[in-house]
Amino acid sequence: MKLPNFDYATPGSVSECCELLKEHGSTAIPVAGGTDLMMALKNWLKTPTLLVDLCSIPALNGITERKDGGLNIGALVTLYHLTEHDLVQKKYPVLAKAARDVGSRQLQSMGTIGGNLCQDTCCLYYNRPPMLRQALGPCLKLGGDTCHAVRGSNNCWATYCGDLAPVLMVLNAAVRISDAAGDTVIPVQQLFSGDGSRPCALETGQVVTEIQLPAPTAYSAAVYLKMRIRKSIDYPLLGVALHLALLSDKKTVGNIALALTAVEKAPIMITAAEGLNGKIITDDLIDELAEAAYKKAHPINNTYGYTPGYRKNMARTYVKAAMHQSIDLATGDGGAA
Amino acid sequence: MKIPITLKINGEVHDVVVEPNQTLLDVLREELALTGSKKGCDSGVCGACTVIVDGKPVLGCMTLAVRCQDREILTIEGLSQNGRLHPLQQAAIDHNAVQCGFCTPGWILSAKALLENTPRPTREDIRQGIAGNICRCTGYKKIEEAIMAAADKK
Repeated sequence: MKLPNFDYATPGSVSECCELLKEHGSTAIPVAGGTDLMMALKNWLKTPTLLVDLCSIPALNGITERKDGGLNIGALVTLYHLTEHDLVQKKYPVLAKAARDVGSRQLQSMGTIGGNLCQDTCCLYYNRPPMLRQALGPCLKLGGDTCHAVRGSNNCWATYCGDLAPVLMVLNAAVRISDAAGDTVIPVQQLFSGDGSRPCALETGQVVTEIQLPAPTAYSAAVYLKMRIRKSIDYPLLGVALHLALLSDKKTVGNIALALTAVEKAPIMITAAEGLNGKIITDDLIDELAEAAYKKAHPINNTYGYTPGYRKNMARTYVKAAMHQSIDLATGDGGAA
Repeated sequence: MKIPITLKINGEVHDVVVEPNQTLLDVLREELALTGSKKGCDSGVCGACTVIVDGKPVLGCMTLAVRCQDREILTIEGLSQNGRLHPLQQAAIDHNAVQCGFCTPGWILSAKALLENTPRPTREDIRQGIAGNICRCTGYKKIEEAIMAAADKK
């Protein structure tokens, strides 16, 4: 497949990179692992005039332990590096597991944690070659006036399918955003705009440079369950990330954080989970949590594989399974996220 | 904008001039006549274009050539040494793990990267390691056996 023509730049520092991006505006695109961007280029969905290579910037690919016991992960750390890194495996096995669930070994070697967070949304009507797009004409995301997936809608319903975002959300991670003016740190969920056609809330000239994870707490555990057809390479059709922290009696909920992916235009936190803090874990409590997730999941018919109805129903099932697994982990050996 | 770059492929240095929008796979096949790496889906799914860059398996079709400046690239052509097949290649023959042959260069390189990291893999490790290499003749069992045998000989 022929790619559009573009120039290529290798900035030597973050500030140089941000200056370049600011100068060229929306015609420049930053590239990290490139696994998401390459298909958009091959399908001529994006036609930049300049590609700014983030991998030429040193010091964005390290993992360091913070004073509080958490981790700072450079945005260019590859998914494979996450799967095999000792500190990640020890402190946040759920993150290593979620990275292992992304694509194939080859894609894990190429894809980065920052790129995985900032990936574009997916839709059958959008992510396909130009020839196939001609039949229905451009959709909202391509500048048209209608959504082909949800007829008559004025919103783009392309689905956010990242695996790491829900996990980082329940782990209460923050991301460092850099631009020409300096750095800001925001909670990871603020990275997502909720707009299917422009899912990443970064402004032109901004890049994610670091992911910051707080230290895991005692009697806590997190799991990520991913539903897909082929275990090896598919995007999630539903992803459930759950972090459970128990009080020292190992029966009472200290805190539950629950996030879903692949069922909305952004990864979503199930805020109803907060209402369960301080309650003793019972089957009714687990059902209540599963019901809250079911209500918030809005999968639509814009992907291969299972029907939206099935995916919505499975949100209930997966949340229950995630809850049972977290309880086992958290009550087992003191747990680790 | 044409960019001159240096590619280190199979221990040899190649000076080539590439467009920024050329993939590594296209440069290997079209410019350097290294046609062992196959173009299957050209969209990052099938793994037929797998090559090893700096010790890690990557997809040639999803990598821009211009980003491979000075990196060590290993393709299937560089696997045999002094006319002797690599143990994985020999095992592929011995265990009839080659049918149409289109996926073979890709999975052999994936397996090589796996064995470098995990010299004694379990069957599950092997399945995970070659999950990104699709064999449409569906000869996965033979491929698994060949990799297992090559690991035992190491």
